[in-house]
Amino acid sequence: MPESLKWKIIGTLLLILVSVYLLGPTLWNMVGVDEKAIQESRFSAVRKFLPQKGINLGLDLRGGMYLEMDVDLDEALKNRVDILSLEIERLAPEADYPGIKLARQNKTHHLEVHVPVNKKSEFQKIIQTNFGDVFQWINSVQNPSLPNVEDAANQSKQALAFLEYKLTGAYEKYLRDMTLKQAEEAVRNRIDRYGVAEASIQRQGADRIIIELPGVKDPDRVINVIRKTGLLEFRLVDEEFEQSKLTELIAEAKKQGGAPDGYSKEEVLQLNTFLAEKIPNDAEVMFEVERDPMTREIVNGIPFLVKKRADVSGDMLRNAQVGIENNEPHVRLSFNKIGTKNFGEVTKDHVGKQLAIVLDGMITTAPVIQSAILNGEAQITLGYGNYDSLLREAEDLALMLREGALPATLTIATKTVIGPSLGEDSIRQGITSLLISAVVIVLFMIGYYKLGGILASFALILNVLFLFAILALFQASLSLPGIAGIVLTMGMAVDANIIIFERMKDERRLGKTARAIIESGYDNAMSAIVDANITTLISGIVLYQFGTGPIKGFATTLCIGILTTLFTAIVVTRMVYDVFIYKRKITKVII
Amino acid sequence: MSNPVDKKQDIPFMRTRGYFVFLSVLYILVALYFMAVKGFNFGVDFKGGIKLVYEFSEPTSDGSLREKLESLHLGEIQVVRFGSASANSFLIKVKHQEGRELASEITLQLTSSFGADRVKLLSEESVGPKVGAELRTRGLWAMVITWFLILIYIGFRFDFLFAPGAVVALIHDVIVPLGFFSFFHKEINLPILAAFLTIIGYSINDTIVIYDRIRENLKKLPSSMPLPDIIDRSLTETLSRTIVTSLTVFFAMGILFYLGGAVLHDFAFCMLMGVVSGTYSTIFMASPVYLLLHRLFPGTGMSRGGKRS
Repeated sequence: MPESLKWKIIGTLLLILVSVYLLGPTLWNMVGVDEKAIQESRFSAVRKFLPQKGINLGLDLRGGMYLEMDVDLDEALKNRVDILSLEIERLAPEADYPGIKLARQNKTHHLEVHVPVNKKSEFQKIIQTNFGDVFQWINSVQNPSLPNVEDAANQSKQALAFLEYKLTGAYEKYLRDMTLKQAEEAVRNRIDRYGVAEASIQRQGADRIIIELPGVKDPDRVINVIRKTGLLEFRLVDEEFEQSKLTELIAEAKKQGGAPDGYSKEEVLQLNTFLAEKIPNDAEVMFEVERDPMTREIVNGIPFLVKKRADVSGDMLRNAQVGIENNEPHVRLSFNKIGTKNFGEVTKDHVGKQLAIVLDGMITTAPVIQSAILNGEAQITLGYGNYDSLLREAEDLALMLREGALPATLTIATKTVIGPSLGEDSIRQGITSLLISAVVIVLFMIGYYKLGGILASFALILNVLFLFAILALFQASLSLPGIAGIVLTMGMAVDANIIIFERMKDERRLGKTARAIIESGYDNAMSAIVDANITTLISGIVLYQFGTGPIKGFATTLCIGILTTLFTAIVVTRMVYDVFIYKRKITKVII
Repeated sequence: MSNPVDKKQDIPFMRTRGYFVFLSVLYILVALYFMAVKGFNFGVDFKGGIKLVYEFSEPTSDGSLREKLESLHLGEIQVVRFGSASANSFLIKVKHQEGRELASEITLQLTSSFGADRVKLLSEESVGPKVGAELRTRGLWAMVITWFLILIYIGFRFDFLFAPGAVVALIHDVIVPLGFFSFFHKEINLPILAAFLTIIGYSINDTIVIYDRIRENLKKLPSSMPLPDIIDRSLTETLSRTIVTSLTVFFAMGILFYLGGAVLHDFAFCMLMGVVSGTYSTIFMASPVYLLLHRLFPGTGMSRGGKRS
């Protein structure tokens, strides 16, 4: 027997052993043996030697939730410009630049600046030196949305120049990438804290996050924890307007201008756009919401005019915990050094005024500041309701505040929840189809090709064995369409053998010897098999690139299946024939 | 097949091709017409919306479910049985609506109507409209790219006269089930799209095996033998393989159709159509197109009876 044949046999036997090894955990998982029982029994040493995990079942087989979330990166840009404008204000204070005003445009992230004409170039230089790679100047046409302001210090009406800045391309890209990464981190932290085992979080494209949560029990609660921005701000109420006047303005805007009802983020933003002329530039309208105690739905909203700038915010928290007072769960906040300092300053300077506690753009309460609060502690109350649901709400809120606010808003693009029982059913049906297809194919092959058919069946079994082993090795996800892919692979794998056998039949008709039949049979069939499988592989790869979730699983099994088919149908069956030729010295090919 | 030039045993596929090509073109035109006029029944994956599967502990009907959900004013909803009749599971599909938590609303309504322990939510799928449209575009691109890549591959491995025929066959194999789905308003969702891409993969498999034989015969058989006869010879020689393989894959998909469960049902059905169409298109689409191109561009392509150009 030639050397190469010996090596082929040894190689194949090794592959079979390795495959069985890789599939160990899967096999006893299927049989229902408990992981823990093994660990504690006398087989624990053996268990450590075997691979950790069996086949990675996809969500549609295991049950769980699959989420695709869009990250609102535009909003993150706007927020960043807001923060930067505060810094610019510090560098160009009112004292040196009388009448200076900075405001971000409502719809875009562009920054508008009004600066006295004689200070214009000085200001531009400040931006250039400190924010050269952040902001770029667009134009300075006399077409401002900010009104002219009197210059009190100079006792004269200074003409104001108007400058418009926008973020540089490089900085914008950097900000988008970083925000997406931060959002991914934040989501991961929250899910870790919440405690979902084997969760998977990935970025997709420029603005999407994909989250897989297998076996999650309370999907809606988890979504809440993930999605809630958790942005906590303490803002002063602008007392220039009286409540009644404000309500009037809003009603007018709704009636005349068609400003929207409702308290969602988009609607409040629209309302503020409508009211832009009538309210001071550094303030905006926000609502204190009242919730129905039973459903926790929003039933009413009291409008407040609050300053845009937040003196104290959630990133200055040291800790957030659930506290219970008078049988009411609430969240207790402790600020860090900066937070305590800011909080102390704000409360000291504005005793008697109202300080609004804003959570995700909605005011929870707006208490009057009684005295300076210097110990950096505060409370968030949640209103009235069922004790258990309030407690859950408090726990989730505390979690979010501890982990930090999301850098941007997440909206759900796709959500798939598969209950575990559906998953189990799917597995059962999928495996049954697989087994029955295999049996039918095997019977047919043996019936039609006799001994050759037995060989082909043996190759088929190896094929599926290798396929599963590779799936287990790479922990690739097996989905229900993936099982369909295996059934399809079986059909197409057999095709390779059929091509070879038909070819051998032709050669036999020409009256060649057994050895010649086998050799020319395989040689002639090769080109057809290789070309055919590569083109199928092309469509499999495209499908892999294009698909998500279960479809990707299908493409994976299809592609792996093609590779294992090429190996078992060509190498393995040829090897067996060669063994027969050299060892048994057969003279007839029975197909 | 002892005498290479003996035509008597060959099945005259190419002689009848006019008739079959005409039938196919007719079918395709009709299918295209329906696709344009009737459009497609895009599922939640492509249109956006919610798909909910509930299991009820007692038998109920889609009519009564619809009744119970009327008060929610959901607009256009679909309620169909999911799985076998004994399973008491129903699939509810609703179009996406701004600002409403449809899944929780429907669940709440059903649990309060039937009793919380008599209704179980088996699965929930919700897709935003933006994603749906995105998926449609990507799906189309995926098919077009696959066709293109295959065109190039065949062009290199065989020659560029063979390639268009293969791609025409592939397009045919996608339109056949698509037309069917459009006419019967069957739902097209992600697994169906995957089925189409798989059909492309399977069909090209079949076409290449035939092409390979044609390529071989072009070299082997004398150049005096006319091309249609060579094609007939090749098709006849590979006929047993074609039948056996098609039957095998057909049976495998058939088992999936019957036993694979409700989730894979439509997928398997699509594959069944694809297998039949794939075999048919190789004989009556790819080969005639190759023949035609050979007539239009004589002298190009592979040389006969010996060296390859």
